[in-house]
Amino acid sequence: MTSSLPGFLFAIPFFAAVVIPVVGFTNQKFCRPIALGTLVSLSIVSVMGLSEVVSHGPLSHEFGGWAPPIGIEWVVDGLSGLLMVAISIVSLISLVHAGPLVEKELPGRVIPFYSLSLLLVAALGGMVLTGDLFNLFVFLEIGSLASYVLVGVAGGRSLHSAFCYLILGTIGASLYLLGVGYFYAETGTLNMADLAQRLPEVIDSRAVLTGLLFIVLGLAIKMGLFPLHGWLPDAYTYAPNSCTPLLASVVTKVPLYAFVRIAFWVFGMTTVSTQIPILVVLGWVGAVAAIAGAYLAIWQESFKRMLAYSSVSSMGLFMLAFSLGTETGFAGGLFYVLADTLMKATLFGVAGAAFYQCGASTVTDLVRLRQNMPWVSAALLISALSMVGIPPTAGFFGKWHLVVGALEAEKYFAVAAILVSSMLTALYFFRMFQRVWAEPLPLVEAHVLETPFPIKMSLGVLTFGLIALGLGSDLVMGLIFESAIPKGF
Amino acid sequence: MADIVLYRPHFVAFIILFLLGIYIMVVSLNLVKKLIGMYLMQTSIILFFITLAVKKDSTIPIILSSATAVTPEAYANPLPHVLMLTAIVVGVSTLGVSLAMVIALYRQYNTLEEDQILGKMK
Repeated sequence: MTSSLPGFLFAIPFFAAVVIPVVGFTNQKFCRPIALGTLVSLSIVSVMGLSEVVSHGPLSHEFGGWAPPIGIEWVVDGLSGLLMVAISIVSLISLVHAGPLVEKELPGRVIPFYSLSLLLVAALGGMVLTGDLFNLFVFLEIGSLASYVLVGVAGGRSLHSAFCYLILGTIGASLYLLGVGYFYAETGTLNMADLAQRLPEVIDSRAVLTGLLFIVLGLAIKMGLFPLHGWLPDAYTYAPNSCTPLLASVVTKVPLYAFVRIAFWVFGMTTVSTQIPILVVLGWVGAVAAIAGAYLAIWQESFKRMLAYSSVSSMGLFMLAFSLGTETGFAGGLFYVLADTLMKATLFGVAGAAFYQCGASTVTDLVRLRQNMPWVSAALLISALSMVGIPPTAGFFGKWHLVVGALEAEKYFAVAAILVSSMLTALYFFRMFQRVWAEPLPLVEAHVLETPFPIKMSLGVLTFGLIALGLGSDLVMGLIFESAIPKGF
Repeated sequence: MADIVLYRPHFVAFIILFLLGIYIMVVSLNLVKKLIGMYLMQTSIILFFITLAVKKDSTIPIILSSATAVTPEAYANPLPHVLMLTAIVVGVSTLGVSLAMVIALYRQYNTLEEDQILGKMK
């Protein structure tokens, strides 16, 4: 069982993504229970996988009985196990949350919604688990196709943003594929572990340098790194509210994972910081992205667009953290990725709830949250505090480790960038608090529906998770230090 | 520079096609033309991979008789072909999804020109 566990982690959601249209054709009501049941079992299996990795070391599975590097290898190690747990649990909560919204927003498109969401989860799992560069490209494209359609599934304005996302995403994937081609031409292998052994001999060649640049550029488009984030604000703003918690929390994190895997595991820390000093460049890009994203977020009227720019800012912070070159910085970055997954799911969940109950979509509309939605307001408050970095939430500990890592590396511009972006984040969230709690209610009373139980429950669980991750940050950081740190620090 | 054109003409062809694809995507306002550019760009990468597999005086990678010993030099590298088979499938599915989106956009806005769509969205 354990040797084929990586395969199961992909097969469970993929099989369900195929089964749902078949079963849903006879009765749509079965879609939701199948999807949720699948994700519950996926979460259990991925937690099992992580605990197996922590106690017995990495698991690897060869497909078709061909030993790597000839065959395709899938690996669960500390990093991929941790990401897999985050993906499966957050996607489960997002789909629980989406239930009432799907019926309201996407009537008649329930089957495609659940099927595509599971396909997306399967592809993200495949990207996280695979140990093969070309295999990663295939899953990158499967996942991207599912997310293009999820962005545009509601029709209307979202179609155009989905089309732009598709065009830019395809350019990104093509650049990635081109980079893989350069590596293959130079080394003759696609397996990551094998590539890591063969690269030092040819590290001076221009083909490797160009290939790495293409790969980083392609993945940067996919992860929405400033200034290549063009598709992201529109896609997140106009995508249906039922899809955004899933899209915003995990879809950009997995290309980031692919970058981290290639930079730190295939190339190695010393290579990317000295021989091909790409981390220096990315550190500056990250610092600019963290500040520019937060600055742009201040001026947005639409709540979801504000959160989208906040995602751009977070992506800059991750890049900054991974480029610090210290163990604490790397681990802190990883912790902040996990925290941000929860925060973005909560915040976009709040946006969905506000839309469901009173049609609110702008920051000003959020004043209506005060009327009848204590649960949603509490979730908004706690997740916003976590975004700003107020203890005891997960965001505080994430940023704390980032600052400690930056001080250890003696990179004071990074410390300054983290602090400035946090202050700007505080600015736009406090502006929002002022609208929600300090301004008088509008005279025309909006019709406010009761919060449906699935939304209440999922927001409650996410908020609880944020505080639990904050209080248990020592435990998680211990886990990261023990099993998810690359060699070379 | 002249060396590259003389001895590596396939790389030059690849670069021209790739840049042409990106240029068409960026410049044209018509959504279908954008997709043509996108597909051209994807196809140029397929050309790049396929030309990596070529060797001088080599044949297709099918072993005809098991009597003689297999010499790798005599066969073209099959791996890039297999990779590109997958990449073609990926490209076709991307094109399929994007054409479906173009149809949906046309039904909604009655035009395929991006500037007119943006104008109607306001």
